[in-house]
Amino acid sequence: MRVRSVSRGVLTVAVATVTALVATGCGGSESSSGGGGKKLNVYAWAGEIPDTVVKKFEQETGIDVTLDTFDSNETMTAKLSSGSAGYDLVEPSQYSVQQLVGQKLIQPLDHSRIKGLDNIADKFRDPSYDPGNKYSVPWIWGTTGFAYNKKCIPSATSWKTLFDEKHKGKVYMLDNMLAAYIAGLQVTGSRATSTDEGEIKDATEALTDQKKMLAGYNSTNYPQLLSSGQACAAQAWSGTAMAKVVAANPDVEYVLPEEGGSLWTDGLAIPQGAKNTDAAYQFINFLLRPEIAAMATDDGGSASANAKAREFVKDKKALENPAVYAPDAAVAKADFLLDPGAAMKHFQQGWTKVKAS
Amino acid sequence: MKHTLDTVTAWLARGVIAFLYIPIVVVVVLSFNDSEVTYKWAGFSTRWYGELSRNTELLAALRVSAETALISATLATLCGLLAAMGMARLRSRGKAVFSGGLFLPLIVPEIVLGVALLSVFGAMSADLGTQTLVLGHLVVTLPYAALIVLGAYNALDPALEEAATDLGCNAWQAFRRVTLPLLRQPLLAAWLLSFTISFGNIVMSTFTNGVGSTTLPLRVYSMLKGGLTPEINALGTILVLFTLLIILGVGLRQMRRVLLGAGRS
Repeated sequence: MRVRSVSRGVLTVAVATVTALVATGCGGSESSSGGGGKKLNVYAWAGEIPDTVVKKFEQETGIDVTLDTFDSNETMTAKLSSGSAGYDLVEPSQYSVQQLVGQKLIQPLDHSRIKGLDNIADKFRDPSYDPGNKYSVPWIWGTTGFAYNKKCIPSATSWKTLFDEKHKGKVYMLDNMLAAYIAGLQVTGSRATSTDEGEIKDATEALTDQKKMLAGYNSTNYPQLLSSGQACAAQAWSGTAMAKVVAANPDVEYVLPEEGGSLWTDGLAIPQGAKNTDAAYQFINFLLRPEIAAMATDDGGSASANAKAREFVKDKKALENPAVYAPDAAVAKADFLLDPGAAMKHFQQGWTKVKAS
Repeated sequence: MKHTLDTVTAWLARGVIAFLYIPIVVVVVLSFNDSEVTYKWAGFSTRWYGELSRNTELLAALRVSAETALISATLATLCGLLAAMGMARLRSRGKAVFSGGLFLPLIVPEIVLGVALLSVFGAMSADLGTQTLVLGHLVVTLPYAALIVLGAYNALDPALEEAATDLGCNAWQAFRRVTLPLLRQPLLAAWLLSFTISFGNIVMSTFTNGVGSTTLPLRVYSMLKGGLTPEINALGTILVLFTLLIILGVGLRQMRRVLLGAGRS
C-alpha cells in the first residue's frame, strides 16, 4: 500500500514530464512554410560561416539565424535522412552534394532567386560534382595536400615524401579514408578520382606499406606537431588550423603535391522540405556579396569561392598563404574529390585492411 | 619486503594521480597563455577569457549542455526512484525482467541506441531539438541513476516506514518524512552522476540534437577540423573551477554535519 500510492504520485510527475517533452517535439516547428518567416536554421561546418557574418545578416534583415555545426558530412547526412532535422540551409562538401542529390535530400536551386552567382570563380562554376550549380552554391574552398617542417626536410614537392622510409616515425596521415586514398592513388600513378578496383588495390598496398613508417593518423593537431618539430611531414587540409601555423612559423610549408592533390569545396544547399526557403535564398544572396564573402577569409581563415571577394579581403597575407589560397598553377592540376559511388565498398574494404595491418 | 611493496604502491598511486590531473593542470595553465598556438608559451594573459565572453556560439552550446543535463539528470533521478519503488513490489521473475529492461542501455552500444532513437523520432515526425536531446540523454543516464537509487532503496529498513504509518502518517507523509530524508544522499549522488554523464555526452547527442541544440561537446568536436582555439582552455578552466566549488560545497556540508553530530553527543 505504502509504495503504491506514493509511486503513483511520482509516476504521474515523471510521465507528465516525458509526455510534455515528446508532445512539444512533435507536430512540426513554428517556423513559417515556404519562406517569409523571420527564422533561418543553418547547419554548417564550424567556423566557416563566421559569427560576424551571421550578426550582420540578422541586423540587415531582421531574420533570426540559428547556426548549428557538424563535425562531418556523414553526421549532417544522417540528420537530413531522418526527415526531422528542421534545417533550411546546409553546407555540404562537394562529394556530399552528390550523395545528397542521389538520396533526394536537397532540392534544386531556383537560380532566378539567386543574385551574384557570377561572382563565383570559374573553377567552381559548373563543377563536375554539381553541373550547372543546380543544387549548391560554392562558399568555401580548399585543398588536400601536405605540409612539412624545413628544419627536418629542406624541400618537398611530392607525395613520395610521406612514403619515404627516411622519415620513419615522423610522418602523419589524415585519419580520413578518402583523404588518405588521394595520396595512395596519386603516389601509385592514378588519379584521385579513380574508382578502378585494381588502382584502389594498388593504393591500398601503398598505404599498407606506408603505415609501418607512420607516426600515426591524425586529423586534429597535426599542424601543431609540425610546428613544434614532433612531425617532419603530414598530409593536411588547407584552412584555418594549417594557415595559422604556416603564418606563425616560417619553417612550416604547405604544398599541393606535384601529383595534383585534390580540391574540396563546402557549398550552400537547401534541404528537401525546408520551411524557410525565402530566408535561405536571402542568406545565399547575402553570402554571395563580395564584401561579405571576404569575411570568410578575414574572420574565418578560409578561402572564399567568390572571385570578387579577394579585392575586399583586408588580411592581404592570407591571399599569399598557400594554406588558405593555394597558387593558381597548383590548383589547375588538382581534381575535385568526387563521391566514389559503387566503388565506395572497395575503398572501405581497403581502408579496413590498412587500419588492421 | 613489505617496505618495498609500500614504496612501489605509493609511487604507483602518485603516477595514477599525476596521469589524471596533469592534463587538467595543463588546460588551466594554457588558458592564461597569450599565444594563439597552444604549444608555445608567450607570456601570461587573460585575453582568452575576454575572447570567450564574446564567443556567442560556444556560450550558447554551454547553455544547451547545462540545461539538457539539468533536465535529464532530474528526470533520470526521478525515474530511478520510481523504478526502485516499483521493483520493491515485484516478484522475483518480474524483477528480473524489469531490471533487464532497465539496465539494457548499459549493455547496448550507445551508437545503436542513438540510431534507433533517431529512427523513432523520424517515424514520429518529431522535430529534433532540445526535447529529443533530453529524451536521448534520459535513455543514457537512467540506468546509472536507477542503479544508485535501487541499491540504497533496497538497503532501507521497511520497518521504519511501517513505524511511521503506525504513528499516524499516511503513505505520502511516511515517504516524505522518513524514506526521502534517508535517500537524500543516494539521490544527490544519482543526480550528480547523471548530470556529469549528460553534460559530457557526445554519441547520443550526435543523433538526437537538432536546431538550436548543439551541446558543448558537439561544438568542441565540430571545431577540431578547423583547429581548437585557446578559448576552449579558458572554458575548461571555468568548468574545473565550478566542479571544485561543488566538491568543496558538498565537503563542507558533510564536515558541518559531522561536527554538529559530534557536538550533540
